Amino acid sequence: MPASCSSLPKTPAVRVQIYGLLRLLLEGREMLELPWQEGDNVARALEKFQAALPVPVRGRLLDAAGALHQGTIILVNRRNILHLEGLGTILHDGDVLALFPPGAGG
Amino acid sequence: MSTVPDNAERYSRQLLFWGERTQRLIGQGSLLIAGVGGLGATVSQILARAGVGRLHLVDDGVVALPDLQRQSLYGECDLGRKKVLVARERLESINSALEVIAHDYRIGDCATLPEGIDGVADCLDNFASRFALYRAVPEGRFFLHGGVQGNQGQVLTLVKGASRPLEEILAGSRQPEGVIPVTPDSVFVIAGLMANELLGTLAGTPKLRDRFLVVDLAGFTFSYLEV
Repeated sequence: MPASCSSLPKTPAVRVQIYGLLRLLLEGREMLELPWQEGDNVARALEKFQAALPVPVRGRLLDAAGALHQGTIILVNRRNILHLEGLGTILHDGDVLALFPPGAGG
Repeated sequence: MSTVPDNAERYSRQLLFWGERTQRLIGQGSLLIAGVGGLGATVSQILARAGVGRLHLVDDGVVALPDLQRQSLYGECDLGRKKVLVARERLESINSALEVIAHDYRIGDCATLPEGIDGVADCLDNFASRFALYRAVPEGRFFLHGGVQGNQGQVLTLVKGASRPLEEILAGSRQPEGVIPVTPDSVFVIAGLMANELLGTLAGTPKLRDRFLVVDLAGFTFSYLEV
């Protein structure tokens, strides 16, 4: 009897939730799952994120030197990475990254 | 004969839906509306119509022509007048039982907020003022954040002292240079959602405590983001 799908080993991954203009650029995709490896940090996850996409989005998040742009807040498990270790924040299997550019006006 | 409409008749449609207990809780509510521009004008109007007890309005601006496409309390006859004074007139004409206190100052210039408020509605148009407002909110009071840009926006409820501070959550947000693009429909949608959350919070049933509702009218999606 074949093993059920639920018994297959799960590939380690992090999820990236996408909001706002980024979602539009990605044709409405709300979430992307990326493979995770021991030692991955937010910067590495953003590289994988870009590699998995057909359109350039890295420039909306990082400048040419790889530093974080202001405009899109990045949360890891509900916490802003600027209050963690920034782009160096270490990720773990199952972590959730959120990329969200909040509206400024009122 | 009184010229003030009877409350049972005035609120007859909503009483059928949310009942007398909720109506009483709303009527006891005292809120501060920070900014009576796009979001604040419509939020305060909905609250006035719903029967909230007291509104403190804070704004130092005057009505200008570009405001009229989205700021629902103002018309051409109000151009050049102080927004808080016009807003108070309109809100009192909508519901004479409502107590409206107008504060003609800029958030950030005043470190303390009026006493006795249950919560604050952030209807401001810049992050620096939002952070100053959050810092001024008394411990234990709720803070409803709203923001809109283009055809997207977000709503979030925090409780001062229990939630993560707004300044931490929104660290890295960027204030656009110059005028922020915004459409009337997106402002009304976000303001309506803010009013819904304010009324729910007064009634003890907030839905957005520590989570954004992110609204994207281009893709017509509504998503949650936990914070």
